Amino acid sequence: MFRRLISHLLVLSAALALPFAAAAQEKTGSKDGFTLQQGSVRIALLEPRIIVGEQSTGGLFEPNADWTAQARENLERELTNALGGVGNEVVRLNLNVTPEADSLRRYNYLFGAVAGSVVEYQFFPGNRLPTKKQEKSFEWSVGPGLRDVAALEGFDYVLMIRTKDAYGSTGRKALQIVGLLAGVGVTSGEHVGMAGLVDVKTGDLVWLNADLQMGGDPRTPEGAAKRVSQLLEGFPGMEPGKP
Amino acid sequence: MKRSVIVTAIALAATIPLAVNAADDEPVLPPYVPAYEPQSVDERGMWMMADEQEKLMALSELRIDDEELNAYVERVLCDTVGKDRCTGVRVHILNIPAFNATMSPNGAMTVWSGLLLRVRSEAQLAAVLGHEFAHFEMRHSLKGFEQRRSASDAWSWLAVLGGIAQVNTGDAQVSLVGSIFQFNRGQETEADLLGLKYLAQSPYPSRAASEVWQQLMEEADATDFGRKLKRRESYRAGFFDTHPTSLSRADYLLDQALAYNDSGDPRDDEHYAAIKKHLPKFLSDQVKLNDFNGTEYILSGIAGTTGWTGELLHARAELFAARGNPRDLITSTTLYLQAMEAGYRPPETLRGLGLSLVKSGKRSEGAKYLEDYLAAAPEAPDAAIIKMYVPK
Repeated sequence: MFRRLISHLLVLSAALALPFAAAAQEKTGSKDGFTLQQGSVRIALLEPRIIVGEQSTGGLFEPNADWTAQARENLERELTNALGGVGNEVVRLNLNVTPEADSLRRYNYLFGAVAGSVVEYQFFPGNRLPTKKQEKSFEWSVGPGLRDVAALEGFDYVLMIRTKDAYGSTGRKALQIVGLLAGVGVTSGEHVGMAGLVDVKTGDLVWLNADLQMGGDPRTPEGAAKRVSQLLEGFPGMEPGKP
Repeated sequence: MKRSVIVTAIALAATIPLAVNAADDEPVLPPYVPAYEPQSVDERGMWMMADEQEKLMALSELRIDDEELNAYVERVLCDTVGKDRCTGVRVHILNIPAFNATMSPNGAMTVWSGLLLRVRSEAQLAAVLGHEFAHFEMRHSLKGFEQRRSASDAWSWLAVLGGIAQVNTGDAQVSLVGSIFQFNRGQETEADLLGLKYLAQSPYPSRAASEVWQQLMEEADATDFGRKLKRRESYRAGFFDTHPTSLSRADYLLDQALAYNDSGDPRDDEHYAAIKKHLPKFLSDQVKLNDFNGTEYILSGIAGTTGWTGELLHARAELFAARGNPRDLITSTTLYLQAMEAGYRPPETLRGLGLSLVKSGKRSEGAKYLEDYLAAAPEAPDAAIIKMYVPK
C-alpha cells in the first residue's frame, strides 16, 4: 500500500523536475595507480542489467518488454564481440546455472548503488563530497566479501554493466518543443549507462565509466555496437579506437 | 475524469445495500482468467519490471524463508479466493513490523510480519489477503499507472501552456494531483468490496474484514494516547490520503457483511498455532518500536485468544523494562518471573530478569540470573557487556 504512495511521490518529483538540464560532467574514473596487464588476468562478466522503455509526456517511465528483449539480445552479442578484443580472457557468467548466484545478484545491485554514488558525489563537480575532492582520489568499494564467493575463484576482476533507456514519447517531444517557446527547459529521454570493473580480492572499484547521456540505440544492432563501444570507452588495456 | 466517475459510481453502489437493507445478498464473483498473460505494451512492461522486482525480493534479507509459514498463508489465501484463483499468486513474507501487505501486477504478494502479528484469526488474515488479491484480479496496478500517466501528462501541458498564455493554472493543477489520490482511494474501496465477496463465499465469516479496521483504529488511538497526541483517526479522507479512512472502511465493510449475512469459523486458535514459532521474534520487533500503549493493545488482543502465555508475558516484561522507570522495573521483574513460571525461559528472559533486578538495586540477585544467561548463551553479541554486571 505504501508502494503506491511512493509511486505518487515519484510522479510529483518527475513532473517537478521539468526544468532540468544535465550539466557537463566527468564520465570516467579509475583507482590511483591501477593498470591492467594484457593477457594476464581473467575477468568475469555478470549478467548486464538492461531496461528499455518510453518516457511519457509527464515524465513517467513506461517500461517496454519488447524493446528490452531486443536490447538485451543486441547488447549481449555486441559485448561478446567487443570483449574478445580487450586482450584478456572475459567469461560471461550465467547466473541461472552458477552456484551462489544469489550472492552475485546482490553484488550486481550493490554495484549499481555504488556507481550511482560515484556519478552523484564525484563525477559531478558541483556536488562532490569533501573526501572526493582531491584530484586523484577514486576510492569506492563494494566491500571485501566478493573474494568469498566460490563462483569467482580463479577470476581477478568482475565486470558489471547496467543500462537504462527511456525514449521520449511523441507527447514528450511535443512538450519539449512547446517548452522551448515558453522558455521552460524540458528534457526528452534518458539514456544512462554504467560499466565498472571490480577487484575480486578487495572489492574495490578499479575502473568506472558512467554516462547519463549515452549514444546508440540498443534496440538496433548498429546502435547496440555504438552503445557498447561507449560503455567500454577507456576500458583498461583496450587499444584506443577499438572496437 | 471518466474513470473517477466510474469509481465514484462503484463507491456509491457500495452503499446501496445499506439503503435497501437487502438480506442475504449473494456475493457474485467476477469471471476469472486462469494463467493470465499480460496483454498491452504497458501491461507487459509492468510485468517485466515486477518479475525483476520479485527476483530481487527473493534475495532480500527481510524475507522470512520458512516453508511452513508460507504454506499457512498460501492455504488461507486459497481457502479465501478459491484453488483456481490462488495458483496465480506467490506469497513472500517479509520481516517488517508494520501492518501491511502489497500486491504486484504479476501476482507477487508480500505479507509483512506486523500484519501476521496483528490479525487475530485466520478470517482476519483472509480479509487482508482477499483485498490484495482483488487488486491483482482487477489489474489495479495497470489502471493506476494509466491514470497517473494521464494526470501527469495533463499537468505538464498545463504547466507549459499556462506559462505561455500567462494564465494561472494552479487550481487545475491541484485538482489533477487530487485526482491521482482520489483514484487510488476509489481502487482501495473497490478492492475492499471484492475482497469481502471472496470472504463471504469462503468458510470464513465476512464480518472479520470490518474487525481488522476497528482494531487498527483502536491501536492507533492507544498509540496516540500513550504519546499524548491528539487523536489521528479522521472521519473523512484528506486530499493526500491514498486510502479511505479506517473508520469508513470498517463502516462500509460491516454494512456489506451484514447484508451478506454469512457465518463461519474465524479459526483464531489455528492462526496463533501457525505463527507460534515466529511469535517471539514478531513480539520483540514490535516492542522495539517504542510504542508502549500500542504494543500493550496488541499484547492484550493476543492474550484475549491464547491467554497470557510465557511468550506474551516475556514481551510485556521487555516493554516495561524498556521504559525503565523505577516502578516499571518492579513490574518487569514480576512479569519475567511469571513468564518463567509459565515455562518460557530462553536466555533473553534470564537476561531481562537479571538486568531488571540489577537496575532495581538487587545487584547480587540479578547477577545470578545474568550468569545463567551467559552460561546459556556464551556467544551472545552482548556477552562482554553483560559480564560487567557479574562480580568476578
